[in-house]
Amino acid sequence: MSAAGPDLELVVRVDQTRCVGTGHCAASAPDDLALGPNGRAYPTHPTSTARDQLSEAADLCPVEAITVHLARTGEQIAPLD
Amino acid sequence: MSADQSQTPAGGPLIPLHCLQQAEPGPPRLAVLPTGTPVWLVTRHADVRQALTDPRLNRASLYAPDAPAVSLIPNILDDPDSLLNVDGAEHQRVRRTVQRAFTPRAIARWRPWVESVVDGLLDELVESGSPADVIAGFSRPLPVAVISRLLGLDGLDLRRLGHWSDHALSTTAYTVEEIVTAMREFGEFGYQLVLERRKNPGDDLVSSLLAAADETGGVSEAQLTSLVCGLVVAGHETTMTTLGNALVYLLGDDPAARTAWDRVGRDEESAAQATEQVLRSIPLGDATDALPGMLRRAVAEVEIGGVTIPAGSVVAADTGAANHDPEIYPDLGGIDLFAPLDTPSLTFGAGPHHCLGAWLARMELESGLHHLARRLPALRLAEPVGAIEWRTGLMTRSPLTLRVAW
Repeated sequence: MSAAGPDLELVVRVDQTRCVGTGHCAASAPDDLALGPNGRAYPTHPTSTARDQLSEAADLCPVEAITVHLARTGEQIAPLD
Repeated sequence: MSADQSQTPAGGPLIPLHCLQQAEPGPPRLAVLPTGTPVWLVTRHADVRQALTDPRLNRASLYAPDAPAVSLIPNILDDPDSLLNVDGAEHQRVRRTVQRAFTPRAIARWRPWVESVVDGLLDELVESGSPADVIAGFSRPLPVAVISRLLGLDGLDLRRLGHWSDHALSTTAYTVEEIVTAMREFGEFGYQLVLERRKNPGDDLVSSLLAAADETGGVSEAQLTSLVCGLVVAGHETTMTTLGNALVYLLGDDPAARTAWDRVGRDEESAAQATEQVLRSIPLGDATDALPGMLRRAVAEVEIGGVTIPAGSVVAADTGAANHDPEIYPDLGGIDLFAPLDTPSLTFGAGPHHCLGAWLARMELESGLHHLARRLPALRLAEPVGAIEWRTGLMTRSPLTLRVAW
């Protein structure tokens, strides 16, 4: 997998019912999020280490459809506030 | 295009918005805009959602040099510097300057303050006594106070905002000359505000969007001015309209409305459910072709709902029809304000231009309706629906005044 260490592996989840297809997440985290043909966002990899990009995607999602979790513990790290 | 459903066959009084019938959804079909430009009218829920999210349809191409005419008269939605009229990376850059302030979490932080404004307006309304005009006393001042505080506009003569807003959304209310003059003045105001906040930043949204724009770069002065003006208008007009039209229904004689009013006042969850159904089922105005924001243009050939739409075509995403699509929202006969919405409505649109202020609007509506119903459970219309004086000649329609009693 990744040489970055288990605590930096992240999982991103998209609530597809809530998602309205703005695509802002794909702009923030182009390596890990994309808009599918159904007009909803989806994670393009099972895990990622792009913490800053994924956190921004989650923080700025206009409908809060995205959450980012530590892969190991499931703890949510974004959005936080 | 779609027939103007707003008048009875005899040309009598205007029908309340909650009584308007929407076009029956069907496959995309060719219609004509008032300019004579052909337009593909999209009405089914899934098709409208696709029209608003598919990257092969966008806004900027509506204003390309080769684009067909889509507006008979100038309006604020035609401004090439508007957030609504850029796409892709440029759109992201502009939108990111304000997006953080409009997420559900950020808006939730405003709730206690919004509720204090609601309480203050209710105190004044009750003090002034029954009967009263609930538009002047409640549904106009609430969103105006909120957006003024958000943008730091305290001290501005709020009648000027209303003047500019009415001209910005005019269809037949004003002449082209009047609209152009008002929009120029409005733009001047926005520009001066941008200059002032850059010189003396505060803790308001204008200051923070300027700081964000300076940090990322790539956002022009014209785009920033347009954004500020857009926030002012969008920040109050549509909320005021929805609240007024909701009250026309809720305070009327229909026994279902009386029961709903009771329930809306009882708990916030019910108020939230009712707000979602109000947003879905009561349109902002009369005819589809009066909402230019729902237009898109195909930059490539695209199939929607089994119909192939050629590149270069103008497409109208009829969210009003989609919100009443019987495949998604079975018509149970009458308005049920507390039926859960399994499929979110398309009132706030979809795709990149999904309404920035959606959560702010929701909160104002929920809080406004809940506290008004809680404080004045006996509130009812004090004039017949047929006697209501409407704001007309604009893209939206709502009562100009609404006489109520308790």
